Amino acid sequence: MELKLIRPELLTMTAQELRALYPILILVIGSLLAIVLSVIKLLSPKFSVFFTTVLVSVAAGLVALDFFGAPPVPLFNHMMVVDPFSTFFTVLFVGALLVSCLVSFRYLDREKIQHPEYYILMLFSVIGMILMASSLDLIVLFIALELMSLSVYVLVGFRRADRRSNEAAIKYFILGSVASAILLYGAAILYGCTGTMNLAEILPILSRSPEVQGPLFVVGMWLVVVGFLFKVASVPFHMWMPDIYEGAPTPVTGFMTSGIKAAAFATFLRVLFSLGYGKAMTEAIQVNVHDLLWVIAVATMVVGNLIALTQTNLKRMLAYSSIAHTGYLMIGLLSGHKSEFGYAPIAMYLVGYSIMNLGAFALLSMVGGREDHGLNLQDFSGLGKREPWLAFAMSVFLFSMAGVPPTAGFVSKYFLLYGAVQAGEVPLVVIAVLCSAVSVYYYLRVLVYMYMKDPVGAPSGSRHSLWAGAALTAMVVLTLQVGIMPARLFEMARVALASF
Amino acid sequence: MEISPIFFYLFSGLAIAFALMTVLKKNPVTSAFSLVMVFFCFAGIYAMLGAHLVAALQILVYAGAIMVLFIFVIMLVNADIPSLDLARSSLFLKFVAGALSLVLLASLVWVFHGFKQVIPAGPFTVAAIEKAGGNTQVVSEMLFSSYLLPFELTSILLLAAIIGAVALAKRQAPKSKLAIDRGVKR
Repeated sequence: MELKLIRPELLTMTAQELRALYPILILVIGSLLAIVLSVIKLLSPKFSVFFTTVLVSVAAGLVALDFFGAPPVPLFNHMMVVDPFSTFFTVLFVGALLVSCLVSFRYLDREKIQHPEYYILMLFSVIGMILMASSLDLIVLFIALELMSLSVYVLVGFRRADRRSNEAAIKYFILGSVASAILLYGAAILYGCTGTMNLAEILPILSRSPEVQGPLFVVGMWLVVVGFLFKVASVPFHMWMPDIYEGAPTPVTGFMTSGIKAAAFATFLRVLFSLGYGKAMTEAIQVNVHDLLWVIAVATMVVGNLIALTQTNLKRMLAYSSIAHTGYLMIGLLSGHKSEFGYAPIAMYLVGYSIMNLGAFALLSMVGGREDHGLNLQDFSGLGKREPWLAFAMSVFLFSMAGVPPTAGFVSKYFLLYGAVQAGEVPLVVIAVLCSAVSVYYYLRVLVYMYMKDPVGAPSGSRHSLWAGAALTAMVVLTLQVGIMPARLFEMARVALASF
Repeated sequence: MEISPIFFYLFSGLAIAFALMTVLKKNPVTSAFSLVMVFFCFAGIYAMLGAHLVAALQILVYAGAIMVLFIFVIMLVNADIPSLDLARSSLFLKFVAGALSLVLLASLVWVFHGFKQVIPAGPFTVAAIEKAGGNTQVVSEMLFSSYLLPFELTSILLLAAIIGAVALAKRQAPKSKLAIDRGVKR
């Protein structure tokens, strides 16, 4: 057989293909520009890099929104695809980048770590996330995952003078590398079983010859799944999360809880579907995957919520609540193929969850003192009197996380649980609702401190950053807007998930 | 392609032994040199599979360049003091971890042993590669056509790694505090 390696269609690009690549190109060019700007002392790198990052993320977000709904465009020899699914998540990642940057500006000044590398690494990490969500090839997926993780490992340890930050970075680096290695090993085994690394080719192979799905395939699949379960922090693999959330600079924590979780879930969905979940999988494997994920979902919800009850540091509390939300998201994963909504509630939930968490962490980085002190429950005593607007914003986010109408958290959870009831997962829904009821206790406890306790200490009197204030206001508005008029976002989520 | 079982078992056995040494030895320099040996054993296996280019690159890049860097770093930061106290972890945890690893090993052995399915040979047979100009040409042509995206993406990944390393290692943090921390540790 003749090998024909250089095919002309691999070396050219149509206008539509180039257009599909615009968001990534803008981000890559922006990050290169930021690197150059960061050494031009004449322009004051602090401002030039910050504004570049903000402009680049706005531009990339608008271009991606403009492209939303276009038919899928496979690129680079089917190594990646730009479809509504990846575009939907691109907008989410870029939004997380924008909010985190706006919040970081004053925060970095306060912590005396205002280095341009911070913004550059955030840009790189978002490029990794976008490529993860659009990858169709296990190699690209792995490199994109590493690009995202590597940048975030450094961001977590960015407060070098603080030992908690160092500890968090080392822990995250070691545990994250192990998870990546497990994922890589699984990918290698899947390649050995199916003979292809292309996700789009695995599904036809599985439905054509079901005998491929032997024990080796199952082992490979589970190793890949475990890698993702680590990244989304579901229960047996959640131990890393609280320490790292606490040690990381607060805006980075917000960035991680929205960006990394959404990226990991989006890629998880794509990989799981292409391994035949709900479609070509043999009955026995389908049942096995369903049952194990069921147990993991329940454990994640219960453990996350119960440990969150005992936390007094708000960052740690939100970390455990984030674990609990992973559990809710897994309900959507379990019930998607049997309900009329499909997997759309997951995308919807990820957006709602990202909005409220970005908001909450923006607020924490504004309220906290130097070296992230002053984020314990007592420090929030009387915040309603000292800073009425901040207290109001915090209440909106906490109500949203607890799932109280009319907030984004409520509608996302409503669609998710509605779909689960349709799919016949009633026990799961009952557990989820009970867990939500438990979670109301620790969310509302913050409200009690803010509004029903006497203020401690004198009002700080320090002015808040305009940028962070704008980001916070936008998040409050979005939380309420999605909560009151969810139809448009839900329609977008449906379009996004219909591209599978 | 037939590969000699004696050399296969020799190289893989040595690779496993040195990999274990990498993990178990307390002295970082010993670990680093064991890792070099693991890379050499892998290079031997690649060469037996007919992937001579990969074997050569494995030795040049991994066993050569990267490991030299590793050892430089170990020497520079003077890390030959064992930082991890193995005796600190409880016997129970050690037992559980060992047992779970054995279970994983057993299941992997069982799974690989039971794998009887024949994978059809891909387009890259020895004859086809010979005809297309040999390993090096085929790899390089694929790198810039079919695998262009991962190739370019790797360069972004390396750039991010460099910037991350600079951000973490650049000395401009308040020095006094770092010095105090280090003083406490010693």
